[in-house]
Amino acid sequence: MLYRRIAECVLVFILCIIALVYLVPFLWTAASALRPAGPMYSYANPLTLETFIPKNPTLQNFFHIFTKQRFGRAMFNSLFVGTSVVALGLLVNSMAGFAFAKFDFPLKNLFFALVLLTFMVPFESIVIPLYVVVQRMGISNTYSALILPAIANGMAIFLFRQFFADIPTELLEAARVDGASWARVFFQFLLPLSKPALVSVMIMLFLFNWNALFWPLVAVHSSDLEVVQVAVTTHVAQEETHWANLFSSAFAASLPPMLLFLFLQRYFVRGISGTGLK
Amino acid sequence: MFKEKSTPLLFLAPAIVLLVIFKLFPIGVALWESFRFTPISQESIFVGLENYEFLFRDDPVFWNSLLVTLKYNLIINPLNVVVALALALLLNRSRPYVPFFRSLYFLPSAISYTVVAVVWGVMLDPYYGLVNSLLAKLGFSAQPFFSSPSQSLGSLVFVGLWRSVGYWMMFYLAGLQNIPKTVYEAADIDGASKWQQIWKITLPLLSRTTAFVLVSSISFNFLTFAPVFILTKGGPRGATNVLMYESYKSAFVNIDMGRATAISSILLVIIIAISFISLRLNKAEYEY
Repeated sequence: MLYRRIAECVLVFILCIIALVYLVPFLWTAASALRPAGPMYSYANPLTLETFIPKNPTLQNFFHIFTKQRFGRAMFNSLFVGTSVVALGLLVNSMAGFAFAKFDFPLKNLFFALVLLTFMVPFESIVIPLYVVVQRMGISNTYSALILPAIANGMAIFLFRQFFADIPTELLEAARVDGASWARVFFQFLLPLSKPALVSVMIMLFLFNWNALFWPLVAVHSSDLEVVQVAVTTHVAQEETHWANLFSSAFAASLPPMLLFLFLQRYFVRGISGTGLK
Repeated sequence: MFKEKSTPLLFLAPAIVLLVIFKLFPIGVALWESFRFTPISQESIFVGLENYEFLFRDDPVFWNSLLVTLKYNLIINPLNVVVALALALLLNRSRPYVPFFRSLYFLPSAISYTVVAVVWGVMLDPYYGLVNSLLAKLGFSAQPFFSSPSQSLGSLVFVGLWRSVGYWMMFYLAGLQNIPKTVYEAADIDGASKWQQIWKITLPLLSRTTAFVLVSSISFNFLTFAPVFILTKGGPRGATNVLMYESYKSAFVNIDMGRATAISSILLVIIIAISFISLRLNKAEYEY
């Protein structure tokens, strides 16, 4: 019994040490974002309590990036692109998942192989050829360039298919016998039963878009279309006085995904274990 | 299953059209453009395999980039597996403090790689960084991190681990929950120690999870771009010039689409090959 107590104490100690590696960057970012603008490096070296707890916390950095640096515009762009992708992506991918889960039709295997192939080719790996495509279509440097390529998603289709397959087909048959159209069966019977899958895919699509850097960097160049992650990188490699902007924009850019994670944690985990292993 | 002809195709059509235009077609374009050369402000011409020949025969920058990408992957992927598994083993118990640590270790995976790179870039600054002042407190000398050719790749690995190891840990936690308790009870009765149980029961039963994590981690890390773009720009002296960054530079700095798409195609072939291996490995080795 004593041996077990000691073992548990050692375990918690190890967990706390690792936790420090995770907590320090978070705390420091928060502290630096809340500190009045100025030479911030002096707070990191030498290390004191003030490194992590600012003496005169202020929100002036946030006011500055939102009013003077057009960071608000970038937040709006990312929010707009993310919501559009989520709305259209939920519709398009769930419809495809429904077709695969509940129907037998000609060429089904061919279409499913196509979905599997796109599932295997990560978005980042086709960014440069995709740019060539988007440019030829004449939609580079528009919102469409950011939204359209992200809507159809092999992983989302797969997730919906798995989820719909577990919903009893008899239920839908009953609705059909009662004279409901396929559209009604889908929107009024199937989707309301599928909230967990919808939430998981929503989180997946939104995070993917909110956190994207490479594609927006390549696809748009007008500053009116700049998204959050690109806006954050513009503060890197500038003079020391701009560290306040850097930390406050990094902080603001991380807030939506962290809140999403903290409130919808169980859907995150379900999305993960659902896509990978079964 | 409903047997219908047009209904499922109508439900499927939007997704298929979008996948063809924005996924399948670019794959074709990558191959097509990689066989062509575009002289400045002129029509592109077909050059066959010349772009590839040049890359492999006369392009030391490409070779260095390929080696850096391989080296980065040979270091980070096994570390990802080992650390994620270790964290999952530590956290696979029901205690009131466990959910807190799980969430904390996972949290960086929710934030963008961009923000992670930006913050760690400042933390690891050779002159004013927090890490160096911490090292000084502990009596170590200051390290150059990203500004030295010998440490920059290692620092990149650290930042990559910090950001994603919690994510892979979640797969292991899910895998551990799937192992029935009765297996361990039987081992206890037979007098197997906890350590033996980990090596002889847990690890073999997790082999499917490991295959999945390893392959997903490889295909993610082969495409590393954001931290290199933000922290090192491929330097110092090409030490972190991964293929993704090299192909970006080729396309948008040197405006050489032929070379850029040739590198993209090579990456695509590697990624698809890895995915096929993953499909084969995903067939379970142990049944329980």
